[in-house]
Amino acid sequence: MRRQRLGAASALLLCAIAATLPAEAAAQDQIPGVRLGLLYQVGFRPGYALRLTGADPEAQTMATRIEAVLVRDLDNSDRFEQRRQLSPGLASEGTIDFALWKQLGVDWLLTGEVRSENDGFVVDLQLHDVLFGEPNKQVGRFAVPPSEARGFRMAVHTVADEIVRWIFAEPGMAASRIAFVRKGTDGNGEIYLVDSDGENLERVTSFGTITVSPAWSIDGTRLAYTSYKSGEPLLYELNLTTGREQQIAPQVGSNVWTPSYHPNGQEILFSVSRDDKSEILRYNIVDRCCLKVVSSTPRRDDMSPAISPDGSRMAFLSNRLNKPQIYVMPTDGGVADPVSPYDYREPGEFHAPDWSPVGDRIAFHGRMENSRGYQILLADASGRGLRLVQLTADGNNEDPSWAPDGRHLVFSGTRQEGTGLFVADTGTGRIRPLVTGLRTQVPDWSPSLAAPLRESLREPGH
Amino acid sequence: MTQRWIAIPVLALGLVMAECGRRPPPPPPPAPSGPTAEELERMRQDSIARARARQDSIRAAEDARRSAEEARRMDIQRTRDRLLEMVFFDYDRFDIRPDQERGMQAKIAILRANPQLRLRFEGHADERGSTEYNLALGDRRANSVRQFLATYGIDAERFTTISYGEERPLVNASNEDAWARNRRVEVVITAGGDQLVPVAVP
Repeated sequence: MRRQRLGAASALLLCAIAATLPAEAAAQDQIPGVRLGLLYQVGFRPGYALRLTGADPEAQTMATRIEAVLVRDLDNSDRFEQRRQLSPGLASEGTIDFALWKQLGVDWLLTGEVRSENDGFVVDLQLHDVLFGEPNKQVGRFAVPPSEARGFRMAVHTVADEIVRWIFAEPGMAASRIAFVRKGTDGNGEIYLVDSDGENLERVTSFGTITVSPAWSIDGTRLAYTSYKSGEPLLYELNLTTGREQQIAPQVGSNVWTPSYHPNGQEILFSVSRDDKSEILRYNIVDRCCLKVVSSTPRRDDMSPAISPDGSRMAFLSNRLNKPQIYVMPTDGGVADPVSPYDYREPGEFHAPDWSPVGDRIAFHGRMENSRGYQILLADASGRGLRLVQLTADGNNEDPSWAPDGRHLVFSGTRQEGTGLFVADTGTGRIRPLVTGLRTQVPDWSPSLAAPLRESLREPGH
Repeated sequence: MTQRWIAIPVLALGLVMAECGRRPPPPPPPAPSGPTAEELERMRQDSIARARARQDSIRAAEDARRSAEEARRMDIQRTRDRLLEMVFFDYDRFDIRPDQERGMQAKIAILRANPQLRLRFEGHADERGSTEYNLALGDRRANSVRQFLATYGIDAERFTTISYGEERPLVNASNEDAWARNRRVEVVITAGGDQLVPVAVP
């Protein structure tokens, strides 16, 4: 009932927004036969309230800081609506007045206590299910270093992701980072990292040359990329923990680009460009062996592999039918099926596929021949170019990369809000700026960086 | 008859002798010891003229040599310019455009006359598409130039290629003109450029 009402209201609102778009721009930027995602994707967002207390003044200050990061993370998750009014009747001890919370529109109530322990703090967090009147539905204990420590924000992001997992049984994306290339005015680029909430912008490389296509390893500890630092575009891998870099040299010559780690953690897929074509190859970087051609088309380019979470298939770019299009095929080689729209009268071009870590959705960017801007599109892996959603309709948007929650995408854009990285929520259509004022390229969203933290720091709940 | 012919010299001798008997003639005016001032002046002028002429001819020879050298230098420069002319491409294409073939034929003539030349072809793309696809496209373009030359019998081993994708635009703007200029292959001489033999190319 409530969901329907909200749905209808949102649909009306979105129609109103759509109606205000300049007709010409909308017509130009929309891809024929593709539905605009904003017009029908409506999300219901449960209300939540969060209250952390401190055991002492120092812990209270910490509680406020943790709360600020958590609230922002939960907002960024696009899954909740925060109810700011706090009932005066709430106390961490005693019973919870579920009826009152329900009246306040709170579906989920989070309470917790922060106390000092050793050199840092411990958060005991409780999740209460207001709708079903179930107190302490989930409890957890999290270690958080002091707020000036380097790991502070990531530790809190881990808590936020745990809350998402408690409520939705789905992965979050707060505890993650985004690698991207920041381009200088000289055309050179360096790899940077930024947290999922736009904090901790950090430069990783200082090569003073062209560097492209950063790709996260499956465990989130390494980055592969193509750098021109030797004079030729070659593939390198940087261990983010040790800072050690090595060339991944599968003896296939120069022009090695668009790396992508296979989920088995052993292999890497990449494209090698030589003579009159680009081929996709597969190589075991652990044993340094077993180079295999996965896809090769005479006089054409097959490149930008993006591998499915189970490792069995890949999406990739190919111009085998003249225009760059997105196809799906087995990572062992085989038949390629198109997933991007193809219209003989008005051929479009589509680029930069990324396979969702959750489910079978593929994001990419593209445009029809006569439109100016590139837009982000979503396709079903088995859709054969028929089931598509267009996520953006404003400005120029390129190189989408999925967040570990399989719901959000980061992309590089030139939009009304500026130039830089933006995060789009495929659930609600909301787009927020992540890093603006920089010339950015080829972002890649890391896997969840929370897992190792949780294993080592979280103790079983009481 | 014969008597008369003899009488004339005798009479003439008598006359001469009669003359000798009179007072000695006045001393002749002193014979000039060198050229006159006039002559000197003329000689001086002549010598200057001769020196000038000699100088002029040296200078003329020098000028001729210089202008020949200059002409050769210009020829080399012109040859070099034709060799280094960029090759431009259509959007998302890497085949040699008909309007670029004249430039390619010039490259062929120059490369045939200069077997010592080694070149690098640097492929570029405009900003449209994707960063990664444009790297491949730039590589296709550089290779396309190399292959075109190979089909005319120029050894492809003389050339290396590299792609800079969309990362090194010639014109930093987002419009058709800028894009058209940015879709290009640049030519860099990697060896043999200092012994360039000029070639007259159309």
